[in-house]
Parts: sequence; structure tokens; C-alpha cells
Amino acid sequence: MNTENPTILIIDDEKGLREGSKRLLMNEGYIVDTAENGATGILLVKDNEYDLVIIDLKMPDIDGLDVLTEIKRLRPNSVCFIATAYASYETAVESTRLGAYSYIPKPFTPEELIFNLEKGLKHRQLLLEAERLKREREESLLEVAHEKSRLKTIIESISSGVLLVNTGGEVVYYNHATLNKLAIDDLQIGQYSLDKLPDGLTDIVTRMLSEKKTVNKSFTTQYEINNGDMYIDATCSPVPQHDGTVAGVVIVLKNITGFKKIEKIKNQFVSMVAHELKTPLAAVLGYIRIMQDESIHISESQQDEFLTRSRSRLNSLLDLVNDLLDISRMEEKKVGREIEELDIKEIIRNTIKFLEFEIAKSKLLVNINFPDQLPVIKADRNEIIRVFTNIISNAIKYNKEKGFIDIDCSENGNYLTIKVSDSGIGMQPEEKEKLFQEFFRAKNKYTREITGTGLGLSIVKKIIESYHGKVEVESVFEKGSTFIVHLPINK
Amino acid sequence: MALIAIIDDDPDIIEASSLVLKSKGHDILSAGNPDDGFKIVEENNPDLIILDVMMDEPDDGFFLAQKFRREGFETPILMYTSVSKTIGFEYGAGEMVPVDDFVEKPISPDQLVEKVNNLLKEK
Repeated sequence: MNTENPTILIIDDEKGLREGSKRLLMNEGYIVDTAENGATGILLVKDNEYDLVIIDLKMPDIDGLDVLTEIKRLRPNSVCFIATAYASYETAVESTRLGAYSYIPKPFTPEELIFNLEKGLKHRQLLLEAERLKREREESLLEVAHEKSRLKTIIESISSGVLLVNTGGEVVYYNHATLNKLAIDDLQIGQYSLDKLPDGLTDIVTRMLSEKKTVNKSFTTQYEINNGDMYIDATCSPVPQHDGTVAGVVIVLKNITGFKKIEKIKNQFVSMVAHELKTPLAAVLGYIRIMQDESIHISESQQDEFLTRSRSRLNSLLDLVNDLLDISRMEEKKVGREIEELDIKEIIRNTIKFLEFEIAKSKLLVNINFPDQLPVIKADRNEIIRVFTNIISNAIKYNKEKGFIDIDCSENGNYLTIKVSDSGIGMQPEEKEKLFQEFFRAKNKYTREITGTGLGLSIVKKIIESYHGKVEVESVFEKGSTFIVHLPINK
Repeated sequence: MALIAIIDDDPDIIEASSLVLKSKGHDILSAGNPDDGFKIVEENNPDLIILDVMMDEPDDGFFLAQKFRREGFETPILMYTSVSKTIGFEYGAGEMVPVDDFVEKPISPDQLVEKVNNLLKEK
């Protein structure tokens, strides 16, 4: 409302009164509109909210009381006066009932009019103030309600369990995810709940609730459900009151089963690596200790043999460490690959040349069977060389003297298929299954003298799969094995 | 002097251990896998068995030790372990596995001789 220049509408069919009042009120600082009948007045009220409205009771078109009703419906906070010469007690009562603020009997003096209007303006201010307060209260209530439901929705949507208990250990709030993370079917607000928590968690919550002052510190514990079906990480934080005492504890329950599984795999791997590293060291240290022990007599040729054995064990340890480093680089995808077009024929010929000495030592016959035209593949040269060096050197190591190695290559749809067959010792079905596992090495009477890290084929598999290829093996125990590599052709 | 069976899949460990124990006047039998190990014990009834904890597979040594006990062999068993106690498996004598003592690899000749003598004395 403009307190400096209040707005007023005068609805009256008497032109003299309309104009006279208008002039008078404009001099008093009012902004004045006039209407000569009820319909025009109502139209004006539809477009403007006037502070004050004066309505003549008797007009030719619509009755003043009907005009009043309509204006109060449109603008409940506009202050309306009924003006009429035909004053009567009944119309006064009726107009007040319909929402008129007051009644101005005609004829009126300018002083009477202004006095009445000023009172009306004060009333208008009160109405507006009340309206503002009401709206504010409604808005803030709405906001609170909205905020509450929003928080509730958020907490319900969290996959972690959220449980709030008071100092009596009773449930104040919980979300649905809490139930399965405590492996219980039901929780009731107000119910004592500490007996439903796993022991370690109950201890933490009990200790927190017994603190005199809230310590700004969270405690975490882990527990398992159904013997390892699910692992839960529970974080408890105290909820402070205004005076710093403890109001309760909020417990957040997070499913960490995935992490636990990875951790277990990691621990197993570390333990296997430690074992593999320690085995050759133990052998070498064993020899050294014997050689240094004066109470044990050894001949010079025995000493030479021990040194040779030690050197060979340390060499394989070095191979192992190098393979491990390669694997970790591959896992971390740190390998700086140089992708280029590769001629697989050339790579296999070079590999065989590189292994010539070992092939000759075992008197092996190598047959290479390649079609004239073969598509190129796109890959890192060193990685593909590594794949075929590992596979072909296995075909040599696990072969029989005067045996053969057949290498076939063919185009197979979107893949280039390379088969490396040997006439070696072959594998038992259970050995075949574990073949690509880290550190697996077939152990039988034939393999005793064969060295290896147990990582070669796991590296082969990692490299081939990183190119979206596949490696398979077929084998007959004591007859031989065939390794089949499928590499995608980049057309 | 005693007859001792050493069962370990690492020929270098068998070689070194044999040499140490032979130097103290013991006779040695050896096997490189659980099956052969069971056979030499069954056939020769040694005074002491030295058994590696992890042969082909983790736990192979454990299973073989259990098999000896199940089949009625009361021969003392000294177990070689190569997994550090900090990494996961933790065991003490007789715990989980029916063996009489442990030696952690790498083996020191003095410790091996001492443990072997203790077990033979108890017998």
C-alpha cells in the first residue's frame, strides 16, 4: 500500500457528489478513481486493488450491497464504505455483515468524509499486516513440511542404513536399508534397539551414550552377516544437544562386501607372491649356510654344484620379479603401448629364430603353415612378441626330445587364429583348468626339471584379452597340447 | 642315529637338508610329492618325518600330515613352513595340524639339527 498517496474508488451515480468528492480527496493527496455505476466499479476493482472504496447504496443498475459483496470477494483487503441518504439500521447491519467497514450517511461534510476515510486507512494497514503475517506463516510452514519430506526422501534413498538412537537406546529414526544391514525384519520407533545390534557396535554405541559431553569423533567397526554373506562397516557419530551433552547416536551402516572380497583376493595374491619369492631364496640361503657351516663337510665338486644351483635359482627369481613387474604394469594400464600394423608371420618367424638354440637342443622339428595372404593386426609389437615367445617356449620346454611343433595361422571371420601344437607331455584335465592362473605350474614326473615362473601364461592371457582376443587350450596328457590364439582383425 | 624322511617339492631344499642331517650321522629318505612321501614312510617306517607345508597346492603338507595320523602313524613330524606368519596363516605347534614342531624357511642348519634332536629325544 502506498501510505503517501492512498488510492480510492468512488462508485456513485450522482455526478456532483462524485466530482466534488474527487476534487476534495485529490487535494488531500488521494489518488482517486470514480465510477458512475456498479458494473463499471466492479470492472475497475478487477484491475486494481484500491485501499478504499466508497459505494453508493442506491444505484440504477446494481444494488450497492451486491456491488459490496462482489468487491469483497475480489479484494477482501480493500476497505469499503457504504454511502447513502436512505440510512436505516437494517441496511447498516446488513452492509457490515457483508464486509463493509463503515457506513457514511449522506449528506456528509468534507471533515466527516476525511475522518472516516482516515480511520478506514488505518484499518486497511491492519488488514494488510495481518495478511502478510498469515502468508509468511503459511510459507514457512510449507517450507518446513517440504524440507522434512525432502530430507526423508533423501535418507530413504541412501543405500546405506541410517539409524538414530536416543540416550535410552531407543530408535528415533531409521531408514529402510537399516533392516537388511542388521539382518532383522522389523524395527519400531521408540523400541529399545541396542540388543538388535552386533556386539561390537552395541559396545561403541553404549560407550558413546554414556559420555557426559559430546566428543566430536566418530567410531567405526566392521561386522559380518551370515558368516561372510555380507560385510558391514558401521560408523557411529554422537548427536549433540545445545548444551553439549549427548542426545543420541547416529549409526551409518555401509555394505562393504565388495571391498572385502577384493581385499581377500589381494591378500591371497600377496601371500602367493611372498611364497614364490621366498622359495628360491630359501633354497639359496640353505646352500650358503651349509657352505659356511664348518661342522658340515662338503667336497669341492659339491660346492660347485651348490653354486650353480644357487645361480639358477636366483636367475629364475629375477625372471619372476620381472614378470611380476610386467603384470603390475599391465594391471595399472601403465604400459606405454605403441599400436602399429603387425605382420604376424614375421613375428612368429622372428620368435622361432630367437628360440633356435633351445629348439636345436631338443632336436625339435618346427612346421609353419601360413596362407600367402593374411590380414595385418594392430597391436603393440613387444606385447605380441611376448605372447608368442611365451607360448612357443612352452611348446619347446614341455616337448619331448625329437618332437615337433606345428604352427598354423588362418583368417577366421573377424579374427586371426594362430594355433601352436606340440608333441609334448600334455596336461591332465584338472591341470588345464588352472593353466592360466598366476603361479600355477603343472607338477609331475615330466616337469621336475623344467623351470618357469608360473606367470607366463597368465601374462599371455592378460595381453590377449586386453586386445579383446581369446586364448584356448586343447590337450591330451602325454600326447601334446595345442594353444589357440584369436586376435581381432582391424579392418 | 635315526632314519629321517624328508618330503618337499623343492629338490634344493631336500639336498641341503639331507646334507645337514647326514653330517650329524642320520640316514635320509626323500620324496618330492605327497604320494611318494606317503609311500616312503609306509615302506620304511622312519624315526622322524620332515614335511613341507606347501607342496603342489597350499595345504598339501597339512593334508599329508593328517593322512599320516589318520592311518595310524605316530612318527613325529617336523613341518617346514615358508609363509611368513605376518601374512595370513598363523600357526603354532599342534594347532590345526597334527605336527610336532615347525621350522621356518630359510632353514638354518643349527636350528634344524636342534629341532630334529629334540623330537628324536622325545620319542
